[in-house]
Amino acid sequence: MSFVSDTHSFDSFEDALEGQFELGVTDGLPVVPPTPERVAAMLAAGDIAGETILGEVPTRDVVVTAEKVAINAVMAGCLPEYFPVVLAAVRAFLQPLANAHSTTATLAGAAHAVIVNGPIRHDIGVHGGQACFGPGFRPNATIGRALRLVIRNVCRTVPGVLDRASFSWPLRYSFCFAEDEEATAWTPLHVKLGYEREQSVVTIQSIMRLFQVTEFAPESEEILTTAYEVARHMGLQRDEWAGDGRSVVLVIGPEHYRRLVADGWTKESIADWMYPRLVADTAGKFDQKVTLASPDNIWIVTAGGPGIAQSWWFIPHLATPTHELILR
Amino acid sequence: MSIVTLDPTTGFGSGEEFPLAPRPESLKGQVLGVVANGLGDSEAMFDAIAAALTDADGLAGVCKVVKHSVAVPPQPEQWAELLAHATVAVTGFGGCGSCSTRSMRDALDLEAAGIPAVCVVHSALEPAVRAMARLVGADEYPVIVIDYPHNPTAVWTKEESAMLAAQVLDAVRLRLTR
Repeated sequence: MSFVSDTHSFDSFEDALEGQFELGVTDGLPVVPPTPERVAAMLAAGDIAGETILGEVPTRDVVVTAEKVAINAVMAGCLPEYFPVVLAAVRAFLQPLANAHSTTATLAGAAHAVIVNGPIRHDIGVHGGQACFGPGFRPNATIGRALRLVIRNVCRTVPGVLDRASFSWPLRYSFCFAEDEEATAWTPLHVKLGYEREQSVVTIQSIMRLFQVTEFAPESEEILTTAYEVARHMGLQRDEWAGDGRSVVLVIGPEHYRRLVADGWTKESIADWMYPRLVADTAGKFDQKVTLASPDNIWIVTAGGPGIAQSWWFIPHLATPTHELILR
Repeated sequence: MSIVTLDPTTGFGSGEEFPLAPRPESLKGQVLGVVANGLGDSEAMFDAIAAALTDADGLAGVCKVVKHSVAVPPQPEQWAELLAHATVAVTGFGGCGSCSTRSMRDALDLEAAGIPAVCVVHSALEPAVRAMARLVGADEYPVIVIDYPHNPTAVWTKEESAMLAAQVLDAVRLRLTR
């Protein structure tokens, strides 16, 4: 297999490891040296030619090819069988409404959540249960990291250059998890988006703010009340360009969905109940309108482990969530 | 044992010199395009710049577009309006990470379309817009810089906006003419 990328030669594995730091192409952590053999294996697993264009960032004159994504996936530590998920994540990130330039150059340091649905979760082990937002799960850690390395190395989002985040964010190392579809009888996110349950799908949501919803009350309406009050803490202004597709994601944890399911709530009824409360006029500095076009803009996902009564909001940057079928 | 690795980046810079649009002798009779990104209170500054240049320099008109989001290109119809009417242009305000770089890109895109342009940015974002200029080979492309104590994200009073307009007026005139 031939490649168009420049090459770098090193005398040893250790030199190659350190050499990636000297090249300025890591996220600050060591990376797997992207040898041609490893990159070829990645492309083969994705059944894709290196020259295939996955998308563009027009503001930066960036064209993203499968070869560059495969190199970064190797560096992130992905196994080849993860690569179809990485490809779908990159394609979703490069959809115009994901607003790749804005969400990665922003002072606010927006992150991106990679949410995986469908059978591939089990095939490769993308975790959606206990501790799924954090470290310890290779597919989660490396798929999310591969997207971030693509954002850095291919899309030129280097801190101090086109990454202008004032603080940036730990979520920018990696943030990928699966929906725990089997936890409830609720409709999985990808099925709500129009896919078949047997299909595997990646959803990308930019995250401007990550809000924890902790509510121990057993009453389901109290849980939902706390949730919308938390979301209204800083509100969400309309962005004309992102338009009516701009959405919030609510990740509901098991202690909450257990109570909600027991009281007959569904994803649809939760969104219907919450929508008018979220979009009510601003009533104070920490009680602000969350501008959404309809209840369909409240995307609900189930994930996390038992114990604390907790859920999480992903409040977007200037983008809409996007999704892509995982091809394999 | 020798190890070869593949480069993960797309590189930086086109390697070609970026040609600037030819400048008019003066602003008299020109139509000033204003590509405002709506950041904070910056639109008031651009309105004041346009008004002052109309009065003092004899602009023939102003063609202002306000983009639909701070860090996106003008909408196709806005771009068409600019190309149809503007003969010189000012873009900005470059006071946040994504909007500064996009505003710089707006200016460079106008230059490529033959319309002399200049981007107004905050000093905090100057490295970012310089990087954007390098992308297209316009390393030395001049920008107009507003400094502290004025807020980068254009959270300005009405009086501050007017004062900043007066402060940058000569530089705008200088950058858009030969």
